[in-house]
Amino acid sequence: MSRKEYLLQQKEKGRRIFGVFPALYPKEVFWALDTVPVEIWDPPLQVAAASAHLQPYICSVVRLGLELVLQGKTGFLDGFLFPHTCDSMQNLASLINDHIKGPQACHFFYHPKEPYGKGARAFYRHELEGLAQSLEGQLGVLKNEALQEQMAQGQKISGLFQNLYDLRAQDKLDMSNRAFYEAIRRNEFLFPDDLIPELEGHVKKGGEAKARGGVPVILSGVLPNPPELLTLLDELEIRVAHDDLLACSRRLLVPQATRVDPYEQLVERYFSMNPCSTKGSSISRREAYLLGLLQKTGAKGVIFNVVKFCEPEWFDVPNLVEGLKRQGVPSLVLDTELNQGLSGQMATRVEAFTEMIG
Amino acid sequence: MSFYRSAQYGFMKDLGAPALFWLERKRKKKKPPKPNPHLGPPLKCAGRLREIMTRHYYLSRFAQGARPVAWVTSGAPVEILRAFDFYTVYPENHGALCGAQKMGPDLCAEAEHRGYHSDLCSYARIDLGHAFTGKTPAGHLPKPDVLFCSNNICQTVLYWYKALSHNWDIPLILFDTPFNFRDIREVDVSYMVQQLEEMIPLLERISGKKFSESRFEEIIGIGAESSLTWGEVLATMKHKPAPMTIFDAFVHMAPVVSLRGLPVALDYYRILLEELKERVRQGIGAVPHERKRLLWDNIAVWFKLREWSLLFAERDFNFVAATYTNAWAETIHYLNRESPFESMARAYSLVILNNNLDHRLKLMEEMVRDYQVDGMVMLSLRSCKPYSVGQYDLRRLLAERLGIKALIIEADMTDFRTYSEEQTRTRLEAFFEELEG
Repeated sequence: MSRKEYLLQQKEKGRRIFGVFPALYPKEVFWALDTVPVEIWDPPLQVAAASAHLQPYICSVVRLGLELVLQGKTGFLDGFLFPHTCDSMQNLASLINDHIKGPQACHFFYHPKEPYGKGARAFYRHELEGLAQSLEGQLGVLKNEALQEQMAQGQKISGLFQNLYDLRAQDKLDMSNRAFYEAIRRNEFLFPDDLIPELEGHVKKGGEAKARGGVPVILSGVLPNPPELLTLLDELEIRVAHDDLLACSRRLLVPQATRVDPYEQLVERYFSMNPCSTKGSSISRREAYLLGLLQKTGAKGVIFNVVKFCEPEWFDVPNLVEGLKRQGVPSLVLDTELNQGLSGQMATRVEAFTEMIG
Repeated sequence: MSFYRSAQYGFMKDLGAPALFWLERKRKKKKPPKPNPHLGPPLKCAGRLREIMTRHYYLSRFAQGARPVAWVTSGAPVEILRAFDFYTVYPENHGALCGAQKMGPDLCAEAEHRGYHSDLCSYARIDLGHAFTGKTPAGHLPKPDVLFCSNNICQTVLYWYKALSHNWDIPLILFDTPFNFRDIREVDVSYMVQQLEEMIPLLERISGKKFSESRFEEIIGIGAESSLTWGEVLATMKHKPAPMTIFDAFVHMAPVVSLRGLPVALDYYRILLEELKERVRQGIGAVPHERKRLLWDNIAVWFKLREWSLLFAERDFNFVAATYTNAWAETIHYLNRESPFESMARAYSLVILNNNLDHRLKLMEEMVRDYQVDGMVMLSLRSCKPYSVGQYDLRRLLAERLGIKALIIEADMTDFRTYSEEQTRTRLEAFFEELEG
């Protein structure tokens, strides 16, 4: 079932659907309000109408998100959420809310940036409560028990993601790179009741699978796009053994929270997430995280697959590359657009890199 | 801090620098420039400004080891650093200086050579290029003891300062200002106040100086007064003809950006204000036959300041306001000595770039009305996404609501490798015709 069909089916069931722009936000709050948050990262569109509002030097995540809205493909949504991810996303939020003004309500979510002060946790909790309150105004009362229940679902999902990632790191998952990311990215729109059985199925199959082999690498960046990159890696028998992707491991692999209070759990989860450029994490933390992944998986190199014009990522890349080089780890930096395939030149670079590490 | 370095700094500050500038004045008896019929007389204050800024950069060579040194983003609440006697360096101001000296591409290329993408902010690339090579038109910049950053102007500064912090292993202090998607909330203010309070022990440790509340309040007073006076300076351009142009203001804003909270900035703006008031009394215009009044949106194109100033003046067009120069005056009325932290939180988080686009639209509408503006030039900057994203709609809305004619041009503030002279000229000529029509 396609994403759109699934969402319409959910709508028929009486659930509300929210369009959520990247990247970090508390999904569980939506679930507890019987609402499906569908994430808008890389809709498969050609940018046309958005060019009347955005300059060509704005990244394709933002341009495609706006295109989706302008092409009228978000008419069935009940609202939007804009987390504060970067300058371009921040202004896109304001552009849609203040000037384009669609029928949907817009909600916003600011998460504190590193290096954190002592008040960051309290502020984040206020933000969570503020978001919940703002959503309640539109979606009805948020019951504490419902949130508790969805927190448990969220924890379960994190655990399943961890299992899947561990299996892949140990080469015990019989899934191509492309299939793996198609499977895990279904978390961007499935309700937990539907996502959990799918993930459990993959974990079960993984436990029984034989090693795929291939040269292991780490993929870093925002998204595993364009999909042609994953296909090429599959063809070259390169196995993405782990990733440091904003849309994937940085936010999906969260340690189990220990607090009882659901808001405290959400606070704990945010502050224990893997380092991320959009949170302002230090380069040292990011470097240590990558080195940890390399050690854990035995990966032979890192591919920085960075979305064109993505400032948070591009500022960190030179130091990360340098840090890896000091440790003798080769890396490849790719400047990619989300939905524009892989140029011949880029494919050649990937091939050369894989030959080098192979 | 070293005794030798402190003594050297003190000597240069009190004797060396004044003596050098005296000699420089003696040596450089420059002939006054040939009067241009399209421009009014140059501002008398310009020489004093040059001296103030040259002295600031000159003394910075001796600051390391003598005074604690901080590198600061242009929107950060610098008053708190002044209370600990930090010598402050503003990489953005230095970037503008490099841009004006046409050093932008060289320094950007140094950063690019080390892996920084050419699409990144050119101020950041210049600064990183300088950090890697030491190249600067200022002679030498002192290495910082701390990096002080606020994301109230963009998130880019955080990424940029993180890179500096990593390269030099220097602490980074962030003043995190939640973006005002709607109105500012009490929870935002408390969060920011707490951050400011937490900075004190940290800054005490770095500077080796104790925090003095009375000194801090005094600095807040000076900072607020400087910015208010700067606001009055800008407001003189409401008069017809305006006594200065925005191209002058781009240059004369240096003290309010880099020396805010110091008496020298306040003294300077008082003198400048007096000069401008006198020009208003005498009816002296920066563009004497001013026919069209324009609004500038975004950072200045530093390598084109003089050229564009003449280009517009030749047609008797004058830029009388800019959202950019206004940013250092816009919210300063929030700042007060009675509740320094809370008022700082509001003053610094309500600035134009930390506010939603609706706020920006209203502000621009107000400026168009107050300054009796006929047209607008918006600079679309690849380097500055928070300033640029939304400009297309702002142009449309201002045209619809106020009938303002507007032009959007693409350029960078310092990196002229991406600038197309021919294309820009053609667009400007078309805009001039439209304004005349």
